[in-house]
Amino acid sequence: MRRGWLALGVVLLAAPLAFQDPFYERMIALVLLWAVLASAWNIVGGYAGQVSFGHAMFFGVGAYLPLLVYTHWKGAPVLGIPVGIAVSVGIAVLIGIPTFRLHGHYLSMATIAVAELIRLLVTNWEFVGAARGLGGPASGRTIWDFCYRSSIPYYYIFLVVLALVLGFTCWMEQSRMGYYLRAVKSGERAARSLGVSAPRYKLYAMIASAVFTSLAGSLYALMLGFVDPDSVFGILVSVQMVIMAALGGTGTLIGPLVGAALLIPLQTFANSLFGGQGNGLTFILYGGIIILLSRFEPGGLLEIWNHHLARKGRKGRTE
Amino acid sequence: MIALQVVVGGLLLGAVYALFSSGLTLIWGMMNVVNFAHGDFVMLGMYIAYLAVVVLHAGPLTFTLLAAVVLFLLGGVVYYLLIRQVMRGPMLAQILSTFGLALVMRYTVFWFFSATFVTLPGSALGGNVKLGSILIGIPQLVAGIIAMVLTIGMHLLLTRTTLGSQILAVSEDRQAAMLMGIRPDRMQALAWGLASASAGVAGALIATFYYLTPTVGESLVLIAFVVVCFGGFGSVPGAMLSGLIIGLIQAASAYYIGPVYKDVVVFALFVAILWVRPQGLLGTV
Amino acid sequence: MRNVLVCGIVLVLLGFSPTVQAGAPAVVKIGVIEPLSGNAAAAGQATKAAIEVAADIINRGHPELARLPLGNTAGMPNLGGAKVQVIFADHQGNPSVGQSETLRLITQEKVVALQGAYHSSVTVPATAVAERYGIPWMVGDSSSLVINARGFKWIFRSTPIGSNYAEAYLGFLTDLSKSGGKVKTFAIVNENTEYGTSVGGEIRDVLIKGGFTLAVQIPYSANSMDLSAEVLQLKQKDPDVAIFVSYTSDALLFTKTFKALDYSPRMVIGDDTGFSDPSYIQNVGVIAQGVVNRTAWDIGKPGSATYRINEMYKAKTGVGLDDTSGRNMQGFFALMEAINRAGSTQPEAIRKALAETNLSPDQLMMGYRGIRYDATGMNTLASTYVNQLVGKEYVTIWPESAAHGSLMWPFKGWR
Repeated sequence: MRRGWLALGVVLLAAPLAFQDPFYERMIALVLLWAVLASAWNIVGGYAGQVSFGHAMFFGVGAYLPLLVYTHWKGAPVLGIPVGIAVSVGIAVLIGIPTFRLHGHYLSMATIAVAELIRLLVTNWEFVGAARGLGGPASGRTIWDFCYRSSIPYYYIFLVVLALVLGFTCWMEQSRMGYYLRAVKSGERAARSLGVSAPRYKLYAMIASAVFTSLAGSLYALMLGFVDPDSVFGILVSVQMVIMAALGGTGTLIGPLVGAALLIPLQTFANSLFGGQGNGLTFILYGGIIILLSRFEPGGLLEIWNHHLARKGRKGRTE
Repeated sequence: MIALQVVVGGLLLGAVYALFSSGLTLIWGMMNVVNFAHGDFVMLGMYIAYLAVVVLHAGPLTFTLLAAVVLFLLGGVVYYLLIRQVMRGPMLAQILSTFGLALVMRYTVFWFFSATFVTLPGSALGGNVKLGSILIGIPQLVAGIIAMVLTIGMHLLLTRTTLGSQILAVSEDRQAAMLMGIRPDRMQALAWGLASASAGVAGALIATFYYLTPTVGESLVLIAFVVVCFGGFGSVPGAMLSGLIIGLIQAASAYYIGPVYKDVVVFALFVAILWVRPQGLLGTV
Repeated sequence: MRNVLVCGIVLVLLGFSPTVQAGAPAVVKIGVIEPLSGNAAAAGQATKAAIEVAADIINRGHPELARLPLGNTAGMPNLGGAKVQVIFADHQGNPSVGQSETLRLITQEKVVALQGAYHSSVTVPATAVAERYGIPWMVGDSSSLVINARGFKWIFRSTPIGSNYAEAYLGFLTDLSKSGGKVKTFAIVNENTEYGTSVGGEIRDVLIKGGFTLAVQIPYSANSMDLSAEVLQLKQKDPDVAIFVSYTSDALLFTKTFKALDYSPRMVIGDDTGFSDPSYIQNVGVIAQGVVNRTAWDIGKPGSATYRINEMYKAKTGVGLDDTSGRNMQGFFALMEAINRAGSTQPEAIRKALAETNLSPDQLMMGYRGIRYDATGMNTLASTYVNQLVGKEYVTIWPESAAHGSLMWPFKGWR
């Protein structure tokens, strides 16, 4: 198990060297960014079992704050990162408290609604650029602008953050909080009858999830240098986080990374190959994959891998 | 009287919302499945109407009927091939599967029709009637009235016929229904067919006054969710009432507060309902 | 075994990615990034068709197009007759995809220049990538001021923008009021995404400064199912002129709502985009008679170069060329003219040639006063006509020097 992680770490550290091409370097940087996002969602969606479809609200807040700092006060965008996290946590608490009283579909609906509401408000608010969005520094004025021509520095920054979020998830999994969350996930009423304060732990999970999502949003803004309401608050962002986690396997440590590692290249290549014709094939493929996944193996690819291992084990024993 | 004009316009549109939301609430209440593709079923209804007019030169009655039948069958197929299995799995997989379905439906239509907007030929010339001091577009009036009638019809079907009570029985207690000799699978497929058919009819009606584009499902499904939540999951009369109310609120906030705020008000209401009274007006949690 | 299969599939997929092309440029590659799927796909695909027509014109000689640069040559003479090859990419309306595709076109397809991208939200970040890599970019359609306001030197914009449109409306309305027309109050009805907000705001500011009174500004959500509230608000304020900044779907719906509510402002100005879309005329043209529009595109008389271009586009797509695609086509021509003039595919040479561009009106297909870029890359001679829908065609009515017809007033619509 330990060796597996070591091997993974080495692969991830060395990956940029294998691709001497800016397009691929950017692609793997995006893989890591989305792995961070999917892993952050996983904390509350996979481990706590609270399926949120509105995580874009944290991503968007995290993305907007650095560029707000730049646009209005010409400050270094990094200064906006802690502010973004604080605002996201505030939102998590504000909506978490009433929303976690809901269950199942109601919860998902509520998260979608709040995220959409925030998107609409941002679209009509002049101070944050309304529909025009906000731009970042065109080129790095100082090292603190984090403006790089190559994607490689971003890749390593994302890698550090991914290590952080996975580290946190691992710690949480083995801590009391993880224990309580598992209890809540498998049967909330039973857990509560045993004295587990479900709302409190769900809220903690949501806060942790919001922190990492917001951080990822800020890093995205640094890399792209531009944000607008649709690209960072849109429902597709939320859905994509969920799909990646689900593809790999929710509630597992490595599932989100697997999901991101598969989906981002798939999307990128599908668009590069077919997009130019403009017939929407990319989305048909994407949708088809989602349907097949949820129909045949909702546990995600890791579940398929586990079946495979189990079958190998059985075969070994009978022979 | 502009206020009356706003009210009537809102109610007519609300009636159409009620029609396609009643199907959604039936599925939701019965099978606890969130159908993200519901807006795209409506979109398909629109395009079937368009094809019927362009290829078969069909009249309004024909294309509406055609939309209903085709979508009824599609609903059944989707149930048997996808929903039945996915229902047994985790909730996440259910939501994702209908989301994937929405994407596939949307972009398959996009493949064939690409991005150009089309409208039903001849609909630009639809006139209007004057009732007192207010003007009502004829397509909107017809759509609103038919939507209302059909929604009431669906409610009567569910509550006054044997078939309807069988469907409701399954939604209330699946095991008990099986014990009474009702086949739940069949009832659920039927419910899916009904829901899809009502979405299809709503689409055909909308096509008479709105333009057609493959991506229209995206915004329609969100409205449907609001209506269903407000009205109460599983309650068709609830969907009817709340559809009208939501249509009214939208129109009123657009006129009195500002057009950009109409969606803000609807979503804020949505959030408020979920927090304060998740079971909606007429639903049971 | 399964692992081997998976690895194999991944390798095959990677192998599909385009490889470097070796050899001298018998072909000049240009990358064009547009929204080919998503909400703006109609516009993106129309632009794609227009640029394909333009590439075809450049690659083959057309005597009747001799007045246009590269119109009557087979390929580019200063590059040994090299042909242009356009590689299209879809950004799906997503800024991140726009950047990725830009990167791919530059580093893998090795394009010598880029064009795009319709959505200002994509053009802004994508041009930043081009600037960083030192590859020239031609903006043929986006309107955001930010694009050329960042001190970049590789980004050139041939198209008129919001301020040009506002000036055209100001000139038109001022002339009209001078000749006795009652046009004192105006309203702006704009959709609330980037396009509507910036262009709507610019028109409003310019008209107010020009002495007109703003009766009301009505921002609204694009793609609404019902626009009666907006029209009722207009009816209440009763402006002399109503200016709409809308995409196609809303333009269609507004026009139908006018008829349904039996009200229309005395003058309806539709700011291009939605109102110029061929499906607008096809679907509601008959009830929108007299709608005023702006365009830099005039088909001209049969036999003229512009007429011929329209015919070629029509043969390809079945509809006439619209203003936005025309502006993109013009941008493409201007780009290729510069590359040809540079006689080289080296980025710096192209950039220098672009900066020195000096095209006169009779060398253009669009109605600009010429193409000459200032230090920020903006076309100082970009301008636009004002036209009006008569029957199934838009007829230029202003300025007088370019007018083919005179203003029909008030707005007839369906009456």
